[in-house]
Amino acid sequence: MLRLSHAMKAVSYLAIISLLGVGLFVPIAQAGLIGTEAIVNAADAHSDRDRVKKLLAREDIRNQLLALGVDPDEAGARVQGMTDSEAQTLAGKLDQLPAGGGVVEAVLIVFLVLLFTDIMGFTDVFPFVNKPAR
Amino acid sequence: MLTSRRAELGLRRAFLLALTGAVLTGCSATLPVEQRMSLPGLPERVELTEVPFYSQDDHQCGPASLAMALNWAGARTTPERLVPQIYLPARHGSLQPELLVATRRLGYLGYVLEPGLDSVLLELAAGHPVVVMQNRGLGWYPVWHYAVAVGFDAGHQEVILRSGRQKRHVVSLRVFERTWRRAEYWALVVLPPGEMPPTARESPYIQAVLGLEQLGHWRAAALAYRAAVARWPQSLSARMGLGNSLYATGDLAGAQQAYRQATLDHPTAGVAFNNLAQTLADQGHWQEAEQAAQRAVSLGGPLLASYKETLRAILARSSQ
Repeated sequence: MLRLSHAMKAVSYLAIISLLGVGLFVPIAQAGLIGTEAIVNAADAHSDRDRVKKLLAREDIRNQLLALGVDPDEAGARVQGMTDSEAQTLAGKLDQLPAGGGVVEAVLIVFLVLLFTDIMGFTDVFPFVNKPAR
Repeated sequence: MLTSRRAELGLRRAFLLALTGAVLTGCSATLPVEQRMSLPGLPERVELTEVPFYSQDDHQCGPASLAMALNWAGARTTPERLVPQIYLPARHGSLQPELLVATRRLGYLGYVLEPGLDSVLLELAAGHPVVVMQNRGLGWYPVWHYAVAVGFDAGHQEVILRSGRQKRHVVSLRVFERTWRRAEYWALVVLPPGEMPPTARESPYIQAVLGLEQLGHWRAAALAYRAAVARWPQSLSARMGLGNSLYATGDLAGAQQAYRQATLDHPTAGVAFNNLAQTLADQGHWQEAEQAAQRAVSLGGPLLASYKETLRAILARSSQ
């Protein structure tokens, strides 16, 4: 399973790179309007290496979304809605970044510690604890 | 047998004490908490009672909080509809950037505030509810949580939240600031496009609107850029963004006006002349279009190759 997913990853990277390779021979300069993105982010030139990196970041996020239980159709839409900088932030980190869920899944000792810290006003886990004002 | 059990209990007690000790020192190191709920011109008390409330189902404070903010802003959605867009089943939660993505997919503007209490208070005073991330647990045992700040009371030093299953969770500023600081003061406003967060800075605001553009929400982007132009009249990005969004909605006259203003404010910006040239050409004003395109080419810059292409295409079309 692991080996297969590695193989699939390699294939998809190859596909991306070969697609981009085709793009390399097409003249990039186009007549007409210049988009706001190019105006705002003029500093980071859109080199081909950059484009590969960005595409790989998105592919990586999509795979991670799937691995974390997101529906395949929805995963694509979620990645598509991201800006490049968001994709860069998220790539490879979906299992580490804080995920707000708000529920404690704790063993007794943690429950007791959090209860105590709640009473002291250091935390705010349990709604039934009256926290001190100061 | 008995002694070993007693020893075990003793060990446990020592462990618990050590833990709480660590917690206390960890927190007292960051004290004193700044009590600064007093900004000049800030009202004493604000509560946005009109912000709707969605009670949180298991783990789904993200969808619930975002649904409150979006519905306040005018979208019609529910936590259930947001779950497939922002929830990560295996993580039992939602990531911050995905809240932004879901917001823009619906054509609304998500803007992450500068970290700090002042931004939140100013947004609340302007009538904007604020989605906040908190770590309601501890550094070593995080309980990540989203809530919506809907008010504050400077006199009592309290913050009013819609949180979890509580429609009105009043929490002391001290406790709120601690839990919020552990999530690096993350705060998000969700606004109908065209409404400007009073604490917005130019560059991150433009980046937020770019996200709307990217998903083809051109009308929303045009409204948001128009607000940006009103706030930062000299911003080239905002003016060009306005022109580009109007162009995309088919409003060539409006686009032309925006680009022309950009050429006046930024006479060395080739890109303004380039886009003006293209718009004039689309309107059939060939002579003017050619002049503007020539100007872009003579100004040059990193996009010179594109300016040359524009000029070439205009010359080819006008000679037909």
